[in-house]
Amino acid sequence: MTILSHLLNIFREKPPSHPSFVRNHAFFKDIDQDRPLNEFDFVVLDTELTGLSQRQDEIVSIGAVRISNMHIMAGHTFYSLVKPKTKIDATGATLIHQITPQELLTAPEIATVLPALVDYCGSAFMVGHYIGLDSHFLNKAAKKHFKTTLRTPCLDTMRLAQIYAEKIWGRHNDQYNLQVSYNLTDLCKEYKLPLFPAHNALQDAMQTAYLFVFLVKSLQQQGLITLKDFFRAGQSWNRII
Amino acid sequence: MASTPLPEQHIAPEMVLDFLQNTLPFKELSATALARLAKKCIIDFFPKDTLIFHQDDTEVTHLYVIQKGGVKSYLKNAEGDISLKDFRGEGEYFGALPLIQNTKANLNIETVEDTFCFLFSKEAFTELLESEPKASNFFLRSMSDKLVNSAYAELRHNRATGRAESALYLFTTQIGDIQTTPRTISSLESVQKAAADMARLHIGSLLVEENDKVIGIVTDKDLRTKVVAKGLDYATPVKSIMASPVQTIAANAVCFDALLFMMSKRIHHLAVENQGEISGIVTTHDIMVLQGTSPIYLFREIVAQRTIEGLYPMAAKIPSVVRTLVEDGAKANNITRMITIINDHILDRLLTLMVEKHGTPPVPFSWLLMGSEGRREQTFLTDQDNALIYAQSDDPALQKEAETYFKAFTEEAIEHLVKCGFTRCPGNIMASNPELRKDSKNWQDTFSRWISTPDVREILQATIFFDFRAGFGDRDIADKLRSYLATNIPNNDLFLYHLANDCLASRPPLSFFRNFIVEKDGEHRNSLNLKQNGLTPFVDFARVMSLKHGIKESNTLGRLQLLAEKQIIAPEFHAEMVEAYEFIMQIRLEHQLEQIENDIEPDNFVNPAQLTDLEKQTLKGAFDVTRRLQNYIKQEFRLGE
Repeated sequence: MTILSHLLNIFREKPPSHPSFVRNHAFFKDIDQDRPLNEFDFVVLDTELTGLSQRQDEIVSIGAVRISNMHIMAGHTFYSLVKPKTKIDATGATLIHQITPQELLTAPEIATVLPALVDYCGSAFMVGHYIGLDSHFLNKAAKKHFKTTLRTPCLDTMRLAQIYAEKIWGRHNDQYNLQVSYNLTDLCKEYKLPLFPAHNALQDAMQTAYLFVFLVKSLQQQGLITLKDFFRAGQSWNRII
Repeated sequence: MASTPLPEQHIAPEMVLDFLQNTLPFKELSATALARLAKKCIIDFFPKDTLIFHQDDTEVTHLYVIQKGGVKSYLKNAEGDISLKDFRGEGEYFGALPLIQNTKANLNIETVEDTFCFLFSKEAFTELLESEPKASNFFLRSMSDKLVNSAYAELRHNRATGRAESALYLFTTQIGDIQTTPRTISSLESVQKAAADMARLHIGSLLVEENDKVIGIVTDKDLRTKVVAKGLDYATPVKSIMASPVQTIAANAVCFDALLFMMSKRIHHLAVENQGEISGIVTTHDIMVLQGTSPIYLFREIVAQRTIEGLYPMAAKIPSVVRTLVEDGAKANNITRMITIINDHILDRLLTLMVEKHGTPPVPFSWLLMGSEGRREQTFLTDQDNALIYAQSDDPALQKEAETYFKAFTEEAIEHLVKCGFTRCPGNIMASNPELRKDSKNWQDTFSRWISTPDVREILQATIFFDFRAGFGDRDIADKLRSYLATNIPNNDLFLYHLANDCLASRPPLSFFRNFIVEKDGEHRNSLNLKQNGLTPFVDFARVMSLKHGIKESNTLGRLQLLAEKQIIAPEFHAEMVEAYEFIMQIRLEHQLEQIENDIEPDNFVNPAQLTDLEKQTLKGAFDVTRRLQNYIKQEFRLGE
């Protein structure tokens, strides 16, 4: 989708009616891009899915943790299972995230969870590892149930890791490693970060938060300070479409 | 039945909980306190070389617990000189002191690696201190006593394999609890009556009474050796064969002390004294029935040897005896005393058999033990440090005869000792060395020269001689030499000055960082010399202070005890020194025992990777005590840096 059609989409969209989304749209109307990145709040988010088909699959769990002043607020987390409309029975993904169909039966539906998540995020930006995938499913649900989309700016730790790798490569003039894996666990291992068990949405969100704080502080040492600096460095910002 | 998710959940994050549950002092907190704390956790990241605290400048708002990475702490003075204070790694913390004292940062804290920290706000920390006594104890009490007890418990827990707590009886059971009722016999009764009484009562000893007072003891052994073997009349009164006075022990002494006492006196019966009254009898047998493998068996085996060759394998049996004691919770101090007594017995038996072989010596002599043997601080198979002193004679012929006798005697003795497992001293500090085999006049002159020489090198080579004690023979000769030192050294400032200076030669390491030792200059090593950097400063301190104050004792803990009793050192300082010294000894003992059991030559080098976090923290505390005693020496003897 081109930038133009993206803008057109936003332009065409009617104002939302659900209060959570009204607030969401208001929060991000004007963003001062010259403010240091540290002054913004972030919510690091991860979702587990019934599968990887963007058309067919759905969210089964959402985990998130808040970052304020570039500190991970370990006690301020969001976690919920989500009951999918279809594919309630075990799928290939069940083995990965280990959420049983039984657990999903009693879980709230996305129409309930999504506004709660939006309220939890508040004015914070969203961060995720390959956040495009998570935001796709969140917006799909937002459109379906609330006829609107999220206006929350997103930051992708995978893109930040690429920027960091380029900066380090540029500085050290080393052989650029093309074999590098941008998988969350592999990156965290490479940077020697504390490691958490994978494939639980909350644990993955926590892991991503560690990666995010590490990358931001390391890039700040490279002279990236304001929101605009980060934006320019890799055009890593994507509006949720 | 759908549940609604909370807009924002305040659940205790699992990974924070997991981490705190493995970290002191948090792991000792209740589950609710831990959960409450974990919820308030903030995680921060500091790239390598970030200055987190700036000394005297940073307002400290949080307690920092290192999750991953490491920091160094240092002080910087007005001239910009840096003095390194510590390295801290995973599970260690900083910021507690400024929070407690409500001051700015007392140190510079700088990351030495990329570092993640858990931060707890001042409010959360204060609430913790107020609500959890274990936490406030940990953060508020002095270093030395806060860890030692749990560290010992952990040592025991780690190494003792499946023994019940009750196995600790040797060190916890009081003599008063196992004593048997004393049976008495009048001093004028016949030995036959004594034998009949013992047989009837199934006991091995009777206390001998005269005018309602206990004046001695007669044992079944006395009946065998003094009556039957010598063909004495059965009507002989017990008074003429009894041992007198009777050896006693306090009812509140623990079994181990009774055992040591009986071993050192070579007796099997002790009268138990309670508030001045004889309240019972305790025998080696009483203690042995409680203990399966007892040092007493080895002790008996040694004493029973009738040939010198029979003594050779005895010392090699020490480790298995010690293993039992360690598992029973013996502290290193008990162990070294036990090893010393066993070695003393081997020496005593050996030299007794040799005197029998060589004939009575022309003049009385004393076999002197030096260094760790002299201090009664032997661990496993130490090398020999000995010398010989004999009575001075004005008769040149007798003098000549003595020289010849002792030359042959000592040379042979050293060879036997080597075969017993006591390796030759590399520095030739052995009685076979003609320089170390002298009469009392010559020894006094030698010490006198050491005391008054201005030659530092000569003094330092002689330090171990000042720890001498008599190991065998005529104790008087050795005691006179000791008295001479006690009278003459205290006024000899230059000698004391040199000894004091030498106390500062071995500095303790600064700290531990992960599996490394960190030295004052920031250098990392992966091996700690428990002797040189651990024990030696304490030994040196006790020696110089005792010599200065005319104390005749040679054992380090004994010296410290006397220094405290004479109010030369403060009781608190004394207690801290004893704890620190004993803990280092304990670590060394465990280390050497493990080496012996794996057929490795025991040494003093421990790799910090083998130590638990608690042991490292306790050792850190011990190093701190070491620094303080060295500062004490500096002030006491007015030494410059």
